[in-house]
Amino acid sequence: MSEAVHEFTLEPLDWQPYVKPVKLDEATPEQLEALKVTPSNTKVSNYVLVLANEAEMLAERTPLFNDIMYSEGGLSRGGREIGALAASFVNRCIYCASVHANRYIQLEKRPEVVDEIYRRGLDADLPDFEQALFNFGVDLTAHPDNVGAYQFYHLREVGLDDLEILDLIHSIAIFGWANRLMHTLGEPHLKE
Amino acid sequence: MTVPPKTDVIDAVLGLDSSSPVLALRERRAKLKHFTQTSHDAALLPAEPGNFSYAMRAALAARIAGLWKAAELQAHYKAQLEEKGSTPDLRSIADPGFRPEGDKRLAAMLAHVDLVTLKPKEARRANIEALYAVGLDDRDIVTLAGLIAFVNYQVLVVAGLKMLRDN
Repeated sequence: MSEAVHEFTLEPLDWQPYVKPVKLDEATPEQLEALKVTPSNTKVSNYVLVLANEAEMLAERTPLFNDIMYSEGGLSRGGREIGALAASFVNRCIYCASVHANRYIQLEKRPEVVDEIYRRGLDADLPDFEQALFNFGVDLTAHPDNVGAYQFYHLREVGLDDLEILDLIHSIAIFGWANRLMHTLGEPHLKE
Repeated sequence: MTVPPKTDVIDAVLGLDSSSPVLALRERRAKLKHFTQTSHDAALLPAEPGNFSYAMRAALAARIAGLWKAAELQAHYKAQLEEKGSTPDLRSIADPGFRPEGDKRLAAMLAHVDLVTLKPKEARRANIEALYAVGLDDRDIVTLAGLIAFVNYQVLVVAGLKMLRDN
């Protein structure tokens, strides 16, 4: 197996758990239900198989995550990916950052935004709209007990309405959750 | 499966009622709001609590909220701890300044809670190995991780909603 990756990268990664994943052929009906395994869908990632150790939590978390990242209207999909990236950079979730940086590029066709974040990390110098989203994400993730009010006003200044701000808050917060699972229960390796 | 929720914890701790614009805003994302609450129930009040009692879960959640000085959530989980059967030991766990002496299992668990809450970027394989070393099994570790992760999510959502409410 390749060595673990400890620096941010845009290369495709595999995630290797520290905790034993549930074996599909030994899974309980409740675990299978939470895994959404059907006869036509038997491909499940190691990450989700680790989380299936707690099927009840996984069953609620999956639809929550999907609604936060993919619901109709409100903040653009790319804007939500900026929230995910900001959280993942603060929390150093290499795997989460790679997935969502690549998704941002795919959606927005603006690799220069991601390049700048990968070059300068939390000090990234971005176009005004992306800067406002990124800075708010960094602040909320790093110290939710003391978020700068100016970061919030900056969101208003670049034109976000309340629903868009709500969507941004959730995309940051759900990565406060995802980073704390993915970065602590396993580590990324370069895909072979 | 989890019983459908009657009250929404985040609305309750923020004192949102039908006159509040933030409540109306949250309702525009009704599905997300629903799954946030059912995730709370799965993390704090699951049908099968396994090795983590409801009271223990509430104590750990109060600790996490306390670590972030999230006063509304901390008060909520302290009240939940009393309701689920508090003891002096559990009240200590709920105190973010408490460091257990002698009880290696509890010490390892609380060290993990504190690290993953405040400095998740510093988490390493050794931190999970430390949990196995004091007797936690695969499920216990995923339960603990899930509880820590959920409460941190909730702390961020509440912090963000307060900015929407007050600005």
